Amino acid sequence: MEKVGRDEIAARRSRAVRTAWVLGAVAALIFITFILSGVLKS
Amino acid sequence: MSIEHTHGHDHESHAAHDDHHDHKPTGFLNRWLFTTNHKDIGTLYLVFALLMFFTGGAMAMVIRAELFMPGLQLVEPDFFNQMTTMHALIMVFGAVMPAWVGFANWMIPMMIGAPDMALPRMNNWSFWILPFAFAMLLSTLLMDSGGPAAGWTLYPPLSLQGGQSFAFVVFAVHMMGISSIMGSINVIATILNMRAPGMSLLKMPLFVWTWLITAFLLIAVMPVLAGAVTMLLTDHFFGTSFFNAAGGGDPVMFQHIFWFFGHPEVYIMILPAFGVVSEIIPTFARKPLFGYTAMVYATASIAFLSFIVWAHHMFTVGMPLTGELYFMYATMLIAVPTGVKVFNWVSTMWQGSMTFETPMLFAIGFVVLFTIGGLSGLMLAITAADLQYHDTYFVVAHFHYVLVPGSVFALMAGAYYWLPKWTGHMYSEKWGKIHFWISAISVNILFFPQHYLGLAGMPRRIPDYSTQFADFNMISSIGGFIFGASQLIFVGVILHCVYKSREAASGRVWEGARGLEWILSSPPPYHSFNTPPVIDATTVAHAGEAH
Repeated sequence: MEKVGRDEIAARRSRAVRTAWVLGAVAALIFITFILSGVLKS
Repeated sequence: MSIEHTHGHDHESHAAHDDHHDHKPTGFLNRWLFTTNHKDIGTLYLVFALLMFFTGGAMAMVIRAELFMPGLQLVEPDFFNQMTTMHALIMVFGAVMPAWVGFANWMIPMMIGAPDMALPRMNNWSFWILPFAFAMLLSTLLMDSGGPAAGWTLYPPLSLQGGQSFAFVVFAVHMMGISSIMGSINVIATILNMRAPGMSLLKMPLFVWTWLITAFLLIAVMPVLAGAVTMLLTDHFFGTSFFNAAGGGDPVMFQHIFWFFGHPEVYIMILPAFGVVSEIIPTFARKPLFGYTAMVYATASIAFLSFIVWAHHMFTVGMPLTGELYFMYATMLIAVPTGVKVFNWVSTMWQGSMTFETPMLFAIGFVVLFTIGGLSGLMLAITAADLQYHDTYFVVAHFHYVLVPGSVFALMAGAYYWLPKWTGHMYSEKWGKIHFWISAISVNILFFPQHYLGLAGMPRRIPDYSTQFADFNMISSIGGFIFGASQLIFVGVILHCVYKSREAASGRVWEGARGLEWILSSPPPYHSFNTPPVIDATTVAHAGEAH
């Protein structure tokens, strides 16, 4: 059985948070781009 | 069959994987309102989804009661339209989607050997937004202008003619979207970062794979819906004209945008169902899943295709012939990866040592009845034919076959499959089977006649109809009442399992079950896999796959 060390846990946590920020930014970007494209066209 | 059950908690599971010092929070509020535990949050999602299932179901009963006979019987036409709209919004956003998120919360960490979801506090927030969103949505029924009545698609110009309550609807949709996006971020972050050492992507259970792909779909399309309803909001209240033809806007553009969200949304509701069925059939056929890798690629293909077929929902608005042909053929293409899946499920069962416990019955019911829904979908993809079928009961029959004996049956299958794991007790197999058979028969009485009604020309979303449609409507309503009532058996089985059942479940509840969740005790400890499990052929189903 492989024990996961504290450093590895901390690294995973920071990777998870980074993934979340990237995905959140993508979602926000889609929303903003979409609204902006509608506004600029009209 | 389930493996030997004991009267008392078994400790056959790998004790080293469990932390039996549960450290559950004390006090009701601490345990449920402030919880960051994936199992508790999963339970909250599932209970919420069940409540919404019955709320939306009650609205379906109003609809079927009104349609029991021709003529206006029970409700005003406007209220009828509110019922059809709210029924759909609640079932899609309040019942099916949260139920799948509940399954994801409960199962994904256990299936990949993680101690919890990657972002537990956001997980709590994702759930607790939902009750407020639906309280806001339901409150519109009590307002002067009534609830939304333009259909769940919220097409303008009709949706723009609603009253002040429309703002509540839009805000509720925004909150549901935020909840879904946060839930999806959590699922992706968990799967990509929290897998136990040795659990490579192509060793993951199919349920985890289908949810990973579903989560990407959600992140891609929910902001589009949010943007579209925001524009509706400004059209309604702030004098803009994005979709208002009177001001130079384009109502058809809304339809394109809505279905760019709406078609992937259909797959958001069905892909996790594919995952659950892909877990259950191998267990009760006692064979590994046939074509695991092909199943993964088929799921990804379906997700990709879901983005490029949206206009088949709106052939009748008029579009260039090349556009019609493109959307027709692209839609038909989805039958290929879906066919791969059905073929693989059947091949998994082929020559298996099959037994037919309740989860397997619901899974087989899913395969057969979902395929019927898929075939009627192929019929609707044919542009020329769709010009007749569009907005008739044929469409209603089609999507209900996909969503009820499709998605909802898979939810039932998953609930029966993992209920002993979640609660530590076996449910009543006898009542589970009674629930399945009544549901399976009545769901066909309910929806199959609607194909004929549609082919004969009965339009959807109307409270009254010509007398020629009377017989099939009466049959359909009777099926609906039986189906609705039979779901009370499901609640009875759950309550009995949780509070009364004396038969304790073993860790590996089902003889043929493979996967990390089965090496934990039943119920699993409050904090599981604080020490990562060993990934090998004895613990996971696809460890033998070469990767």
